[in-house]
Amino acid sequence: MIKFEQVSKVYPGGFQALKNVSFHIEPGEMAFLTGHSGAGKSTVLKLISMMERPTAGRVMINGHDLKRIERKQIAYARRDIGMIFQDHRLLMDRTVFDNVALPLMIEGYSLAEARKRVHAALEKVGLSDKVRHYPQMLSGGEQQRVGIARAVVNKPPLLLADEPTGNLDPKLSSEIIKLFEDFNRVGVSVLIATHDLGLIARLRYRTLSLKDGRMINDGLSEEAL
Amino acid sequence: MSVLFRSRQQGAQQVKISGLRRFLMFWVHHAQQCIGSLGELARYPFASLMTMAVLGLSLTLPATLYVIVKNTDSIGANWQQASEITLFLRQELSQQEVQTFTKRTELAEEVDSVRLIDKEQGLAEFRQRSGFGEALDTLTDNPLPNVLIVVPREGYRTPAAAEELVRKLSAEREVEQARLDLGWLQRFQAIVNLVRDGFLALALLLCIAVVLIVGNTIRLNISSKRDEIMVMKLVGATDAYIQRPFLYTGIWYGLVGGIITWLATGALLWWLSGAVRNIADLYDSQFRLNGLNLTEMGVVWGLAIGLGLVGSYIAVRKHVSAIEPR
Repeated sequence: MIKFEQVSKVYPGGFQALKNVSFHIEPGEMAFLTGHSGAGKSTVLKLISMMERPTAGRVMINGHDLKRIERKQIAYARRDIGMIFQDHRLLMDRTVFDNVALPLMIEGYSLAEARKRVHAALEKVGLSDKVRHYPQMLSGGEQQRVGIARAVVNKPPLLLADEPTGNLDPKLSSEIIKLFEDFNRVGVSVLIATHDLGLIARLRYRTLSLKDGRMINDGLSEEAL
Repeated sequence: MSVLFRSRQQGAQQVKISGLRRFLMFWVHHAQQCIGSLGELARYPFASLMTMAVLGLSLTLPATLYVIVKNTDSIGANWQQASEITLFLRQELSQQEVQTFTKRTELAEEVDSVRLIDKEQGLAEFRQRSGFGEALDTLTDNPLPNVLIVVPREGYRTPAAAEELVRKLSAEREVEQARLDLGWLQRFQAIVNLVRDGFLALALLLCIAVVLIVGNTIRLNISSKRDEIMVMKLVGATDAYIQRPFLYTGIWYGLVGGIITWLATGALLWWLSGAVRNIADLYDSQFRLNGLNLTEMGVVWGLAIGLGLVGSYIAVRKHVSAIEPR
């Protein structure tokens, strides 16, 4: 599903965020990406979501070399990737409904169809009763769940999450992870970047570890740990 | 069609919405964004109205100048139609010769009518009007020539044709001098042309100013929505989709700005009409200022909307694509 081949990334200014990183995540797989802050987790996610381009090497999604995707197509390609952020990135002046419906409106759904899907997505994350609320009226965990509903509302085959449990207590964190497990169970590939090692330890998923821009463990070779 | 996943079709196709429905939905979404951008303007009524007023008032000046040029053109046309040729006849002609020449001229095909002012009549008129009455009594001889006023026939009244007629008449043996008072008409026309050219240049400059003002306002709108635009790009919005509300905002600016232009032009002409009536009365003229007619109002409106759209288009082209999610 996601394949990195010898990927390096140097940011303008000379900071080398990734050095020769290679890994492959299979379709339908759920994996964690860890490392201390600055290790390159966010850069990996940005390369997958085409917010950044690699300096060297290839990034592939479902066999498509992302280098071949023109600027104009990026918007369409992103519709296949659900993205979840630590800071939620919700539109604060819109209701929960409008936030979750945003990807559907962009794709040109009719309002009736969008309403159906938004309610299904909100029900999934347990926020059916908060449709008319504004994000400020919700707790941090609820806001994160709105972000998740927005990411899955158009049923993308791939979910990326950047520190989705960053500001949440352990109980809320495991609830969020349970949601990801549910999506994974219906065939969605999930990649979660987190530095919450306690959370990962409790779960038995593949874990890729980055350190100073290098992949020190791709989660397949036990001995590297 | 999905870019990355061939088997996965785009949402709207996936849920089996017919082509017609999707075509309709495209317009429904357009309408929603159009109304939405109006709502956005209504959230900051004062700022929006200021931009609209700048646009409207900027167009008022060229619109008013246009009305004035249009009106002076119509005055010029009136005067041009009334052009008369004055023939000063030779002193030594006898009464008989003057009569014959008058008859002959009247029969010429270019001539509509002639009017003879003989020297006695001329002197009497001069005595009455000039106020030199008694001084003239001291003259032993009448110094005035016989004068023939020739009015050209319809079709020979344009400056060029009238000039040609003057040339022909002045070649006559009986004519001392022929005068077509075109000089002042040409000067007047030249001034009108100057005003018109000046008004065109001014209008062009003001139109450019309007585009820049709208462009700058939209640029500020875009940068205040920077975060929102980033989020929209992250969930797969195309530049075109993000641009649309801003383009509609430009159209709304023009729509309301055009109406402000109508009102302001109307008010300005109403303000001027009193002074114009005074002048016209002094010249015994029935002349009244004609405002913008329906077509011209339409043109002004279209121009305002077009300028709003162009201004916002320039801004979105440059600034929406520059915002990249981080």
